[in-house]
Amino acid sequence: MELRKRQTPMLTGDIFDEFPDESDWDAIIIGAGPNGLMTGAYLAKAGAKVAVVERRYEVGGGLATEEILFPCYYSNMHAIYHMMVDYMPVMQDFNLDKHALVWIKPNLQTAMVFEDGSSLLLTRMVEDTADSIHKVSHKDAVAFGKLMRTWRRMVSEIVGPATYLPPTPSLDWIVALQRTEVGRELLELNEGSPLEIMTDHFENDRVRALMLYVACMWGLDPRETGIGLFVPLLLERGMNKCYCYGGSHKFAGALAREIVRAEGTILEAAEVTRINMQNGNVAGVELMEGRTLNSKVVISSLDPHTTFFDLVGKESLPTTLKETVENWKYDKWSYYTLHLVAKEKPKYQCDDPWVNESFMTVFGFDSTDQVVAHWNNVMAGKVDGDFGGHSTCESFWDPHLVRMPGGEVSFFQMHAPYDIEGGWEKRNKELEEAILDKWQKAAPNMKRENIIMTSPETPVDIEIRFPNMRRGAIKHGDYTPMQLGYNRPNTECSSSKTPIGGLYLCGASTYPGGMVTGGPGYVAANKVAEDMGLKKWWKPTPAMEKYIKTYME
Amino acid sequence: MEFMRKSTEEIYDIVIIGGGPNGVALAAYLAKCGLSVCVLEERSEAGGACEQTEPIAGVRINPHAAVMYAAAAPGWEQLELWKYGFRMSWEPAWAFTPLIKTVMTTEGAVPFSDKDGLGWAKITGMLGSPTFTKELLRATFWCPPHPPEVEVTAENIPFMQVYKERAPEIWTEELLQMTMFDLMDEYLETEPFKVMQAFASWYSGAAAHYQGMAIPAMGGNIAVTLYGASAPRGGMHDYFHAILRCALAHGAVVRTCCPVEEIIIRNGQAVGVHLRDNAAWGEKTIWADKAVVSAVDVRQTFNKLIGPQHVDRGLLQKVNDISLKGGSIYVSHFLTREPLRLSPKFKDWPHMTGGIYPCDSREIYYDHVADVDGHKGDPTMPAQRVFWMAVPDGRFPSTDPQCTIPNHYLVSPFYVFVPPPEYHVDGPDAINKYKEKWNAYMREAFSQVVENLNSDSLVYHWANTPLESEFRNTGLIGGGYSGARLCKDHMWTNRPLPELSRYCTPIDRLYLGNQSTGHPGGLCLMAIPYNLMHILIEDGIAEPGNWWYPSPWYIPERGKISAIPRK
Repeated sequence: MELRKRQTPMLTGDIFDEFPDESDWDAIIIGAGPNGLMTGAYLAKAGAKVAVVERRYEVGGGLATEEILFPCYYSNMHAIYHMMVDYMPVMQDFNLDKHALVWIKPNLQTAMVFEDGSSLLLTRMVEDTADSIHKVSHKDAVAFGKLMRTWRRMVSEIVGPATYLPPTPSLDWIVALQRTEVGRELLELNEGSPLEIMTDHFENDRVRALMLYVACMWGLDPRETGIGLFVPLLLERGMNKCYCYGGSHKFAGALAREIVRAEGTILEAAEVTRINMQNGNVAGVELMEGRTLNSKVVISSLDPHTTFFDLVGKESLPTTLKETVENWKYDKWSYYTLHLVAKEKPKYQCDDPWVNESFMTVFGFDSTDQVVAHWNNVMAGKVDGDFGGHSTCESFWDPHLVRMPGGEVSFFQMHAPYDIEGGWEKRNKELEEAILDKWQKAAPNMKRENIIMTSPETPVDIEIRFPNMRRGAIKHGDYTPMQLGYNRPNTECSSSKTPIGGLYLCGASTYPGGMVTGGPGYVAANKVAEDMGLKKWWKPTPAMEKYIKTYME
Repeated sequence: MEFMRKSTEEIYDIVIIGGGPNGVALAAYLAKCGLSVCVLEERSEAGGACEQTEPIAGVRINPHAAVMYAAAAPGWEQLELWKYGFRMSWEPAWAFTPLIKTVMTTEGAVPFSDKDGLGWAKITGMLGSPTFTKELLRATFWCPPHPPEVEVTAENIPFMQVYKERAPEIWTEELLQMTMFDLMDEYLETEPFKVMQAFASWYSGAAAHYQGMAIPAMGGNIAVTLYGASAPRGGMHDYFHAILRCALAHGAVVRTCCPVEEIIIRNGQAVGVHLRDNAAWGEKTIWADKAVVSAVDVRQTFNKLIGPQHVDRGLLQKVNDISLKGGSIYVSHFLTREPLRLSPKFKDWPHMTGGIYPCDSREIYYDHVADVDGHKGDPTMPAQRVFWMAVPDGRFPSTDPQCTIPNHYLVSPFYVFVPPPEYHVDGPDAINKYKEKWNAYMREAFSQVVENLNSDSLVYHWANTPLESEFRNTGLIGGGYSGARLCKDHMWTNRPLPELSRYCTPIDRLYLGNQSTGHPGGLCLMAIPYNLMHILIEDGIAEPGNWWYPSPWYIPERGKISAIPRK
């Protein structure tokens, strides 16, 4: 399968070579986000002739670092808190360090500052968090320490490694977890809602508020039962977030470099308009520009509606699959982010100066009720004056985001509805002002005269930038029991293989989900390699091996 | 070597400082020769001036390079960029070519004559049989300057050889003394057509009024029109991606967020680099066994990376005298709710809201030159007369739009020359102090042609001033596009200085690979890497395979290995 170049005559009659109009591949990956890049990197290195096609002019998807504060200031307008760096198999399987990929994992992960100037801290080191909780409740401080003993094991022995293994049907999984005590405890925890879990374990309302915010900020419904196993995962991982030095895009750049070194091809500005079919199997993809890429294997990292309805077409789908895709629910909330450049880093007015070095700072909430009330509002399409959210001063961690001295880059992010009352066009400016007011209240130096420039990003903007984050859904679909685990996106497709011959899924809407875990990409790479008969050059991580031995054999 | 290396430090054959199109294309060439290469880029994304950014969701702007000039480059064949996903976004209908029939003046869109079209086609080689346009371009840009022992004459300058052979009626010794205006006065007819070409050449680097630059100035214009002024799919950054991926596929390492503090020089020889403290690389020393190449601008290379301790004062003075004039650009980007409408007198202008204005007479041109490079203050030209060049988003085809927000329209970039910050009488940040005022000035200038660039329609007016361009992209000294003026004193064997003209320095094993440090300058041509390859072959550093061919006009330096492969 030798590529044949396209030859285009120039005005002067000379010949200029371009990428071919039609080309043949072993596997085509749609979307160069973190998962698409990971699948591509594994398969290319396994010897498959891989093409990764990406709609934007740059790879990375949610791993985007852009000069959205133009000119001179960059921000991570999407993924910034990388929670699964400790578990991602790509970290052991590829020498990404070679591409100058550096992770920073600050001890002070999250600070919550309250209106009265007090604060609570959530840190990587358990005792630092306990120290902070002791200010308000000895009982909770002790409870936190005890809780982390088991929750850390739940994550490191079960949920962390399971992220990178194909999903197990729910009942089988319940049986398997019965084998160990920590497994049984996790099952018990799974019954509760996040709010119940926090209420059960902590007495102090503000401690509950902090823990609940961290566990649910990425879209768990605090009152939904049957998703409790995500609570230890998101909380414990929320204590181990990493910052990608130089911006999240560097992670995408490192993965893309691995694809190219393994002779894979990446095409940007290459929007797929159709997945070609032949006798019920995939035959390749059609690009908007008119080029055709042929392959018997197509791996889509897009959301279910785009993959199945827009690209494959309803007429080619089995009925059950069509129904499950029709019923797919997008995230219950999206995000409104205000990026800005200020003359200074925010200095929070509070009892602990360490707060100013926090990776993430939550403000606007004084109680658990307020946190829950805001989420209720958002789910009803509203945002009122009582909102809260989290902020990060990115340039505190990363001098590379600042090209012109004299400015510091920060953002504030809050949960927000896609369909906001009044519409985003109208509400955008008003919310920006409300955020600046609130921010100045928490950090007095964030006053208007210190703000050099702002750049808001609404849920609608998220969808414009990344069209398959429909309705601003950063995880390509809600986290509910019916859309998680073996059910994500549905029981027929959660292994990454779909009922359509040669079509696989590798994006956030597939098991285990979004948040740059790399899970869907890795699971798909394994499945496709097995089905294509490629020799796997990689091995599971030690944690995965232990999990397989304990629960799967 | 006598110095000690730690086991944690890395050693490459070649270390290249600067990951723009020149640095990375050179890495591709050298990696393809089988050398181990490490490129160190200061910014968080490589690409240099080949960059785009998306300041708000769905809007892709071009802060610098916007269209393709590199059509004639040997790099297309030698690096096989098509393999690495390179595709064009063809828009041949929109161009500054003889295909267009009118020129924009303050009177409206005025036609030009057949004599203009034919005359231009003749001197640019398009009427040759076969055409010799590509040959002329290669001779102008893709050939290293002759070695010092060779006297440069009207007989041996590559483009003069092309004329002599293919169009002897054009060849005259005076071609080497002429300005592009002189040349146009001889072959063309209407003033507005000449002025349009003159402005286009100024914006491409070598200006129409520079003495002795007639052919290189014209060359910039042909280089862009050869592609119908089209752009790569995905913009210039995706052209860079093809180059980058060629380098990576051949094993080069390209690291971002790795600013270099200094070049390590031992006993007069460059042996590696130290990274700055904030670099995304733990061990801050990286060694180079065969060569270090600075693809950084000429001033920083000598003043900072090499340092005054290794350069004699005489040379340093000459380096600091290298002119930054001739191309500091104030770049605007307009996002509007309505498509911009041309005012009635431009109804015959076929190119939407793009183009070059006002092309009435060279008096306007000279006024603008005086304002930008003579007065050294803020612009004094009335906005009604100030010259601009605009690229509307409709210039990309519908399958590769720059703006994907429904019912929004983009013009990016909109260029206006202003004085270089370094020479401004009120200091480098003078123009930044009144950015709002200058933004309004730019809008007024554009409003001479469009009628609805007003507050009802305008959603965003972003701008990068030359000062901001310099900070964003430290290689673009002067906030310009070529890093150093493309006049006769800084061109061919004089670029950047006679003693540095073959990409070499007084430091052994230290080479220069930036647009400001060697012939032919900027425009993302892959020309400096190709030209420098000849020198690296001469010095025994690179040994390319069968894919290599040298410039047919290249003359090897006496006593060195010839870059012409032995049969």
